[in-house]
Amino acid sequence: MKKFTFLAVALKNLKRKPFRSGILISAIAILVSLLIFAISFSISVGSSLKKSSDRLGADLIIVPVGARGFAEEFLLESKHTAFYMPKEMIKRVAAIEGIETLTHQTYLSSISGLCCDILPTRIIAFDPENDFIIKPWLQGSLGRPLQRGEAIAGFGTNENLGLGLLAVETTIFNNKFKIVGVLEQTGTGLDNALFMTEENLAAIIESGKSPLKKGEISIIFAKVKKGADPDYVGRVVEGSIVDVDVVARSNMGEKFLNVLADINKIFLISITLSSLLTIFLVWAIFSAIANERAKEIGIMRAIGAKESHITKLFFLEVLTLGIIGSLIGVAAGTLLAFWLVHTFTLIKTISAQLNLVHQLVIAVAGLILGSGICVGGALLPINRIKKMEPLLVIKEE
Amino acid sequence: MSQIEIIKLNKFYTVGDTIIPGVNEVSLNIEQGEFLSVVGHSGSGKTTLVSIVGGILRPTSGQVLYNGCDICELDDNGLSEYRNKKIGFMFQFASLLPILTATENVLLPALFSPDQQQAKDNAEKAQRCLELVGIGEKGLAYPSQLSGGQQRRVAIARALMNDPEIILADEPTGDLDEDTEREIMELFSRINEEQKVTIIFITHNLELARQAKKQIRMHQGIVEELAL
Ligand SMILES: Nc1ncnc2c1ncn2[C@@H]1O[C@H](COP(=O)(O)OP(=O)(O)OP(=O)(O)O)[C@@H](O)[C@H]1O
Ligand SMILES: [Mg+2]
Repeated sequence: MKKFTFLAVALKNLKRKPFRSGILISAIAILVSLLIFAISFSISVGSSLKKSSDRLGADLIIVPVGARGFAEEFLLESKHTAFYMPKEMIKRVAAIEGIETLTHQTYLSSISGLCCDILPTRIIAFDPENDFIIKPWLQGSLGRPLQRGEAIAGFGTNENLGLGLLAVETTIFNNKFKIVGVLEQTGTGLDNALFMTEENLAAIIESGKSPLKKGEISIIFAKVKKGADPDYVGRVVEGSIVDVDVVARSNMGEKFLNVLADINKIFLISITLSSLLTIFLVWAIFSAIANERAKEIGIMRAIGAKESHITKLFFLEVLTLGIIGSLIGVAAGTLLAFWLVHTFTLIKTISAQLNLVHQLVIAVAGLILGSGICVGGALLPINRIKKMEPLLVIKEE
Repeated sequence: MSQIEIIKLNKFYTVGDTIIPGVNEVSLNIEQGEFLSVVGHSGSGKTTLVSIVGGILRPTSGQVLYNGCDICELDDNGLSEYRNKKIGFMFQFASLLPILTATENVLLPALFSPDQQQAKDNAEKAQRCLELVGIGEKGLAYPSQLSGGQQRRVAIARALMNDPEIILADEPTGDLDEDTEREIMELFSRINEEQKVTIIFITHNLELARQAKKQIRMHQGIVEELAL
């Protein structure tokens, strides 16, 4: 015979109303998965943004007046905007005190059917002479500089382009290009662009299919001198050149971070509310269970069960529910985070940013919250019953 | 010294503004190994008296001395241990836990027992108790699969599990046929004689009551008549 223990009794009690146990487990599971998802979400987004701005390596982003919004969200934006300023801006910016080096890029928007074989996408032309934005990244993915007539796709662009295959020939603004590779994922808007070197631009302008004119660039990235304050230098640039907007690194993604903070708040509120709801649910169900079993509890007390024994029996029951529910919730929440990643355009790397320790800590937190809520909800009804005199409980029906 | 000494025991129930006397100034001695029947009208206080002796109800005033020690002074843990080790209960109604098998029901008192060393032999002992009450083969059956009489037997086996010194039975045969009733009474007298367990049973059946070695009658909370 199997050993007769408190746990055995608790499990038998759970099995006697499988539907009700199922509802309790589901409630806990839903709550915990919401928690897990919320935490995964905010940790990943926050850290992904920080990583991206760190790796960008530029202290200032300089764009034509009116494109500030784009610059602020540069790391995340994947819209195919195109804006231009004269190339002379480079010299004017370089002349400003505190600027150390700069590089520039030119953006093109491809329009399907009209000009190009590929689906609409952002095309970024950079200057390999002074580039410090793409190069480190290109080095890792391709291992050599890009040649004329070659393009390399951002991580997410591969599918967006509808190419699927590498080393294919494609026509962009009447020019043949060979796609030579796919860059590593960055989790930023850059993942959705196609990169080429600046030398290709002349031929593209000649095709007449693009709004780009000779001598125009879109954006300047600048590093400031050691010891200089990027914010201050940025203000100086903006003050002395009226035609540009400047965004410092510390302001990058600011709007997005504010939105993120709001999203976190919403998560927090809904988790608090659902915790309360779950506590009520558990409390209501356990009140019913306790009342329903009043006679049994009385009988157990009469044959010698102490108050602590009754508590132990219920707690084992509740904890089993809590633990099963939490485990399911942890699994579901993690899965949800993995799965939902693909529906967020802004964060493609959500789960990639969570290391094992993170995930473990979150899982344990979920487990504690889930089981804690079960125990908390069951506490009151159990206490009421076990305090009553056995005979009166037995007679109470 | 008597095994149980009841001294000026009172139990008043308050319902709203009215006070209902359950037990009224009862004093009574019960000796070790006694076989005592309690009769009386419905509502005369039999269950109340026996429940106080068994430690599942606290009196309003008075004392119940078990081997000279007042059980009413015990805290909840002490009282639970007293019930667990010294008392075997049988109730007026079916009292088995429906989710547990017969054997598991019999094992319950051992689960709550403060001394857990003898836990290994518990399963064997439960089986012996079931055999003693004549349903050794029903160990794996659930209460719903047993007849009323068999359920009562399981309840007796459970009452015997922790080797109690006193068995308190509240109308143990109330809704059973006469044959089963007789068999259960025989079982009680055997346990009383062989194991020297004190047995106190409540009944409405005067004939059954006469089979006890000692009878008391209750009337409006008072132990009215001691007939030997
Ligand atoms: N929980 C209670 N609250 C109020 N009054 C009660 C309660 N329990 C019992 N009484 C009253 O106390 C008196 C004695 O009740 P008790 O249950 O002891 O009677 P009894 O002799 O066992 O009756 P029966 O033969 O019907 O079982 C009755 O008048 C009853 O109404
Ligand atoms: Mg009664």
